[in-house]
Amino acid sequence: MQQPDTLPAPALVVDTLEAGYEPGLPIVRGACLTVQSGEIVAILGPNGAGKSTLVKAVAGLVPVSSGRNWLFGQDITQVAAHRMVFEGLAFVPQTENVFVNLSIAENLELAAAIVKADRHERLAPVYAMFPDLARQRSLPAGQLSGGQRQMLALARALITRPRLLVLDEPSAGLSPKLVGLVFDKLREVRASGVTVLLVEQNVKAALALADRAAVLVEGRERLFAPAAELLDDERVAALYLGRHTGRQASGAVH
Amino acid sequence: MLQVLADGLVIGSVISLGAIGLSLTLSIVRFSNFSHGELLGWGSYLALSALAVFTATRESLAAPLGPFSFGWGLLGALLVSTVLTALLALALDQLLFRRLRNQGAITLVIASFGAALALRNLLLFWYGGVPQYYSQNLQIAIPILPRSVWGGLRVTADQLFVLALTLATVTALHLFLRHSTLGRSMRATAINPSLARVAGIDPERVLRATWIIGGILAAVAGVFAGITVQLRPTLGVDLLLPLFAAVILGGIGSVWGAVLGGFIVGLAESASVSIVGAEYRAAAAFAVLILILLVRPTGLFGEKH
Repeated sequence: MQQPDTLPAPALVVDTLEAGYEPGLPIVRGACLTVQSGEIVAILGPNGAGKSTLVKAVAGLVPVSSGRNWLFGQDITQVAAHRMVFEGLAFVPQTENVFVNLSIAENLELAAAIVKADRHERLAPVYAMFPDLARQRSLPAGQLSGGQRQMLALARALITRPRLLVLDEPSAGLSPKLVGLVFDKLREVRASGVTVLLVEQNVKAALALADRAAVLVEGRERLFAPAAELLDDERVAALYLGRHTGRQASGAVH
Repeated sequence: MLQVLADGLVIGSVISLGAIGLSLTLSIVRFSNFSHGELLGWGSYLALSALAVFTATRESLAAPLGPFSFGWGLLGALLVSTVLTALLALALDQLLFRRLRNQGAITLVIASFGAALALRNLLLFWYGGVPQYYSQNLQIAIPILPRSVWGGLRVTADQLFVLALTLATVTALHLFLRHSTLGRSMRATAINPSLARVAGIDPERVLRATWIIGGILAAVAGVFAGITVQLRPTLGVDLLLPLFAAVILGGIGSVWGAVLGGFIVGLAESASVSIVGAEYRAAAAFAVLILILLVRPTGLFGEKH
């Protein structure tokens, strides 16, 4: 099914999405989001705003009760989670995002084998991008530090050559220095032509990385604007503190 | 002394092969399948039926091969039985377990008790309660060591066959899990099902593979029990507790743990037969289990979560 009137199609359109774990209890409540091809978009917001649920619903991990998700013009709302890599969407969960009982090499080789790609052709560029992983390729992923795990999770996702990379709080639990390293890799990823959507707690770092950012409150975006504008926007802090700004007054840019 | 070791390894072969399947179901399908032992029982009897068909068509198939008590017919029957037992495991999943998968592990466990009862009584109904044998040929144990050396050692060719084929089967499974995409997908699903889905692994495909492998190994174990001891409808229920002991001993989800656990339980059983008498067999396995869990609560190869 093609989405009408969009040429070229945005990387991702989230259209009045409602989603949640229990029927009748939506956590994402009518969120709308457009990610243009080649952008980095960050989803910000206070705890419990539904940021993770939103990206999990996009990745097919949380049931969608209404609304639609479009990936490069294709309706992916009902695509099963395990088919998303074949649609060009790779998702990196926040925690437990590597197979700890497999070695680094096995994690990456499995990712290549699942999409039926040539192992050497796919692994070489990823090893070149992550020399630390290449050096320790036979090490079980369970023995990696938090930062290295995040790198492996990112590498595992990139092996599938996604068009859209979705990350759930890639900086969680990392030191500021490691956050910088991970974000540098995301800049590299974007430079290679991959669109990036990420959930972030770390507002300052996220706004420095992203082209645009959305602030999600109670399952809906209250602000969606270029990151540079949001850096000095007091409404961001207000939303984090629970002082709601009306959606219409937000000057949201869609 | 040596004899106890040799007998323990033969019993251990059967328990190991059964325990691997049970361990895979526990870690991938995520419930304790109390009907797994019945798959061993069914595997042994399905081979008996296949053997009867083979020998009815060509009598020469029953002729013993070299030093063994069985002929080509039983090897063919073993193959047929692995296929049929795998199909039986798949059918159980389709008809029963799959429908209850969203009801939680307790429901599945209770359902598996029911499945075990049904499967065992079907065996009893079709084949009768009298123990049967694949072959009426008597096997003379070959003396390997005289009595003067640690009590001596006598083994039958069948026992050596069972031990060798067990090691070959376990090695093949190890290579499969280590190097094939489906095998790695199974390991990935066992440790982290949610990430496995995100990575593009079809969970249904992994579940099917798990039932098929569990069924194949159960059939091999059942036939081995039939070769080295006898065929009886209660094989499954008799082996159930040793199977669980082996899985827990080795650490849930670890193939090598299940193998080692199976051999330890086998050795404990055979030692108890010569030390305290055959009636305490099962107790011996559990005494070892308790001792090891006191030292290593996650089992020998278990991972802390």
